[in-house]
This record gives sequence, C-alpha cells and structure tokens, in this order.
Amino acid sequence: MITLTNLGKIFRTELIETHALRDVNLQVNEGEFAALTGPSGSGKSTLLNILGTLESFDSGDYQLDGKSVKGLSDAALSKLRNEKIGFIFQSFNLIKDFSIYDNIELPLRYRGLNAAARKQRIEQALELVGLHARRDYLPGQLSGGQQQRVAIARAIAGEPRILLADEPTGNLDSLMARQVMELLEQINRQGCTILMVTHDPDQARRAGRNIQIIDGQLHDSTLYDPLAQHTA
Amino acid sequence: MEQLFYYLKVSWFSVKRAPLPYMLTVLILSLGLGVFFSNATFYYRINSDPLPAKSDKLFFPMMLLVPYQCSNCKPPSVLSYSNIAKLNASDIPSAKAAMYSAGGYLRLNSEQAPTPVNVRITQRDFFSMFDVPMLHGSIWPDNQARDEVLLSKATAEKLFGRTNVTGQQVLLDDRLFTVIGVLDQWQMLPRLYDAFNRNYLNPTEDIYLPLESGYDYNYLSNTNSSTFEDADYRKLATDGRTKAIHQLQYWVQLDTLAQQNAYRQFMANLVADEKAAGRHPSAEANQLVMMRDIVSYFDGESGDIKAFAIVTLLFLLVCVFNASHLSLNRYLSNQYEFSLRRALGANRSQLQVQLLVDMGLMSTFTLTGAAIIAYGGIKLMNYLWPANSLFASWDLQLMLALAALTLLCSYLVTLYPSLRASFGSLNKQLKE
Ligand SMILES: Nc1ncnc2c1ncn2[C@@H]1O[C@H](COP(=O)(O)OP(=O)(O)OP(=O)(O)O)[C@@H](O)[C@H]1O
Ligand SMILES: [Mg+2]
Repeated sequence: MITLTNLGKIFRTELIETHALRDVNLQVNEGEFAALTGPSGSGKSTLLNILGTLESFDSGDYQLDGKSVKGLSDAALSKLRNEKIGFIFQSFNLIKDFSIYDNIELPLRYRGLNAAARKQRIEQALELVGLHARRDYLPGQLSGGQQQRVAIARAIAGEPRILLADEPTGNLDSLMARQVMELLEQINRQGCTILMVTHDPDQARRAGRNIQIIDGQLHDSTLYDPLAQHTA
Repeated sequence: MEQLFYYLKVSWFSVKRAPLPYMLTVLILSLGLGVFFSNATFYYRINSDPLPAKSDKLFFPMMLLVPYQCSNCKPPSVLSYSNIAKLNASDIPSAKAAMYSAGGYLRLNSEQAPTPVNVRITQRDFFSMFDVPMLHGSIWPDNQARDEVLLSKATAEKLFGRTNVTGQQVLLDDRLFTVIGVLDQWQMLPRLYDAFNRNYLNPTEDIYLPLESGYDYNYLSNTNSSTFEDADYRKLATDGRTKAIHQLQYWVQLDTLAQQNAYRQFMANLVADEKAAGRHPSAEANQLVMMRDIVSYFDGESGDIKAFAIVTLLFLLVCVFNASHLSLNRYLSNQYEFSLRRALGANRSQLQVQLLVDMGLMSTFTLTGAAIIAYGGIKLMNYLWPANSLFASWDLQLMLALAALTLLCSYLVTLYPSLRASFGSLNKQLKE
C-alpha cells in the first residue's frame, strides 16, 4: 500500500545541506506493523513526516495505494491526511483547553460528518482506549499514558488505514509504554497498518517488521539484530 | 451552521488563552477607529450636500455693481437694494430671493423678559427654494412689506408651548407682528444659503421677516455689509434703498442649462447697461456660483478640520500597524495549533474560514469599542466647540461606513498573520 522508490530529502539552510534521506526504497503492505529504528538524527521522523505528507521530498516517488502523492493539491493532500492517515506524536499534541471529547473530534470536524456520526466514532474510539469515563476531562487532568491514549483515539477515530507513530512511548514510563504498545497491537490486529518510530529494542522486537535507518539510508530486516544498532 | 459555531468556539478559546493581548489589540483598533470616526462624522456632515436634488440648480449671482473702480477684483458677496431690484426684474429664474440676517429680541407681551433671536429677513421664494417644510399656516403671498412673521418650530414651542399658533401675535423688538406660519423641524446642514465667512456652520434662524419690513424697521445686517460714498448705513429705510449699502445675499433657481446661459447673458447685459449709465466703472467680473460649489468659492473649507482629519487618519494607520503587530504575535503563538489542525487534515481554505471567523469576532468587539469611543469623542468635541455641535449626528449611512471600515481594519490586522499561519511549515511546530 506504501511504495517509496529512490526517495530523497535534502534540508537546505544558509550554511549546510543535510541529506536527511537518500535513495530510500520501501514497500509496506496492508496490515503490517513495522518498527523504524535508528540513531538520533538518522532521518526517522523525516521519513514518517513524508509518509504522512507533512513534508515534501526532493527526488524519487511516493505512491500511496498505487497513486503518486506528487503534485497533489493542498486540498487533496489534506483529504488524504484526514481520511487515510492517523498521526501519533511523541509529545501527544493535544489541545490543552479542549476536552478529551473535543480533542478526539478535531480531525472529524474537517471531514463534513454530521454530529451523530462524529459522536458515534468518538465513543467507539474512547471505548477502545478505555477512557470513556474521562471524556469531559481536560488533557492536563490525565496521566501521560492516558494522554497518549487520547491521542491514539484521535488518530483512529477517523478509521484511517495507516497509523504513523513517532516515538509514541518516548515520554512514558515502562508500564504506561506497555499499555500503549498493547493498544497499538490491538489496533493492528483489527487491520490497520502501523509504522512506528522507536528507540526501545523490546518494542522493535514485538513489531512484525524492523526497518533500520542509518544516516538517511534504509536497512530493512524482518529479523531484529540488537548488535546492528550498536555497531552502526 | 453547526461548523460555524465550531469555528467560533475555536476562536473564542484562542482569545481565552491570551485575553490580555487580545483586549489590547481590540482596544488599540477601537481607539484608532473611534477617534477617526468622530472626526470623520464632522468632516462628512460639513461636506455633505444638504439639497442633493437642487444643489446644481441654485445659483448665487455676484456682480461688481459698486461705485468704485477696482481692477482684478472679485465681486463682493453682497449686493445693494437697488442692485437687487435690477436683478429681480428678470423672469428667467424659476425662483429668486434676496436675504440677510439680523438679531432681535422676541417676547409675547411687555411683561415677559425678551429672548434674543436670529432673524432671517428675506423674500417669499426663500421657502420653496431651500425646501423649507411648513407645519402650520402659510408663507407671505408676495414680497411686500407686512407685519407678518414665520416662526421656527422650536421658537413657537418655546414662546407658546405649542406649535399651532398662526394668527397669534408676538413682539419683535417691541413691534407687534402676526404669526402667519410655523415651520416644521428644519435644519439645513450645512446651511449653504449663508456660506460667506463660514456662516454655514450655524443653525437655521428662529424667525423670518419680509425683506421690505426689515428695511422699513431698519434691521441692520449682523453678518457682512459695506457702505460706500455718503450712504449712512443706519438709515436702511431711506439710504438703504437708494444708496450704496451692500448687505443682501441673492439666490436664484435656474433649472436648465438654457436658463443658466440666459441668466449669464442677462447679467452681462445688465453690466453693459450699467456701464452705459456710468455706474459700473470696473471691468465686468460677474460670477454665477452653483450652491454645490459655494463653500469652496468662498474658500470656506475649514483648514483646521481638514488637518485634524488627516491627523486622525494617520493615527488610525499607526493603530492598525500596532494592532497587526500584536495580532501577529498572537497568531505565532497559535501556530502550533494551526499546524496540528493541518496535520490532522484541515485544508488551507478551512483554516482561512477559521481566520475569517476570528476576524468577525474581533470586528464585533472592535465595532462596539469604536462606537463607544467615537460617541465619547463627539461629546467631547461638542463640549469644546459647541458651535459645531450640529454636525455631530449619526445616520445609518455613517454607521454602515464605520462597520465597513472596522471590517477592513480587522481584515488588515488578520490578513498577514493568517497567511503566515496557513503557509508555514507543518512539521516544525509539532516536534517541540
Ligand atoms: N526542518 C529541518 N531543517 C533542517 N534540517 C533538518 C530539519 N528537520 C530535520 N533536519 C535534519 O535532518 C536529519 C534527520 O532528522 P530527523 O528528525 O528525521 O531525525 P530522527 O531520526 O527523527 O532523530 P531523533 O531520533 O533524534 O528524533 C537531521 O540531521 C536533522 O538535523
Ligand atoms: Mg525524530
């Protein structure tokens, strides 16, 4: 469902050019749970942002469901983000003065769903992440793990086919991290494709596929090799 | 509709997040708009056309019918009684009236304390020419001298406590006059029939007296008059009618271009006749000025009002600049939320609608603030310059203009920030 061919990304500033990604070739199939690992600054977030169409690329091609995203209008890209892709960030990115309910509703608001349809999806998502009782709380009144579960609920409320998670457990302690992982696995079992950036070897091992990025280049391996990361 | 409420809610939350800078933005904009608007009200009123249907049909003829020689002279704005008699001889105008103003004292009977009044001394066509509305009674049937006056509505109310007082008698400077008519509420703004010396900023008169009676009873002009040769200006009834005492303003109504051309020709012929009779020593300098142009002809545009208008416009610009700066800061701190919404699927036009709603909300607050400040400003100006207070009233048109200007300023204040917010890079904000 995701096909990257010879994809390259260069960040240019006045002083330097950073080749954040070079010649990346990647094929992700429907239903996969892939972990992206790699040293800091290797280009993991950049790759995820390009997959989420939050960032443009300089060379190569990115095809989603067989269609290139190149040259799509802003409206088309927004629609694609809104309907096909769910985003989970390391820092949750919840709006602090909006209730849990309103936060989850946010992407649905830009989709032209009526109030009843929105409500049904939000309740479903809340049910899944186990926070139905907290629907009127503000994000600040929840623990970090709960906040990330709200962010997951927001990402899946639109029933996306791909979930992109950038270090979703990076800000959580191990217990809460495990809960979030279990939740993601559950979502994956329901058919959603997941790409997740992580620094945690245990999490990477639990994912069905492990993709390593070193210095902007891809080292795909379905087998997890802990030594690879340390010797790189 | 429901989505609109959502946009409003998002705007309101962003206001609540930083209420102080927001209030400051609104305050600065309101101040600029309020000050500008209170001044603009004046400017607009003073420059407005009191008789749009007629202001290109009423003319003010001026001629150098004076007994002295003068080269490159503008004709005086006033004519003598005998000049008027010659001009009145023409049947070309559809209406014509000579006039001047004087002061007097009015009371009902000799026991009462007299009140000072402004008297317009004029001829019967005055009322039709300037569309003066009548409430009761009628105007004089001709231009003869008669002891009959018309009162303004306010004067009738003040004197009698009611308006239907035709047939009643009043004492004007202790002469007995009969009231033959009462005008309805009438305030020609600006009062262009008396434009010389910026008199057009004054209110209309309290009482109206026939020109011939004014001369008979020796009412001297309280605006401008000039006397030549041996004429004694205090003897209006005699010298005033025969000698060179210039104190009459003259208006004619010329409805068509043909009439106007014919009248110009009539004036030229009159000069030729006068020259032949030795009464027009100077070169011809006739003027026939349209009412629409009368203020600028007399150079009566108030320089200080204009300067003040420019200053308040500059002040408004400074305020808009400052407000947009504040607003930019506000949007920059909100950019994170914009990026988040974009990342979750809001497209640019949806964010633009959000910004339009933002603008609408700000306009509402600003309009309220500006209206209050403008109202206060007008009250203050009326207090400082009570003579100008006539020009401080609002109508629907002015209110709409204020609303439009407020929208425009709010738009300017949100435009640049909105572009920054919706075209900025997406992922930077979300990383932290
Ligand atoms: N907006 C940007 N402008 C310039 N350079 C950038 C920008 N974003 C990322 N980079 C550079 O691109 C490279 C890849 O960055 P990226 O954020 O993808 O790394 P990462 O693998 O996610 O690192 P981490 O594990 O620390 O999150 C880095 O060298 C980074 O400095
Ligand atoms: Mg990263």
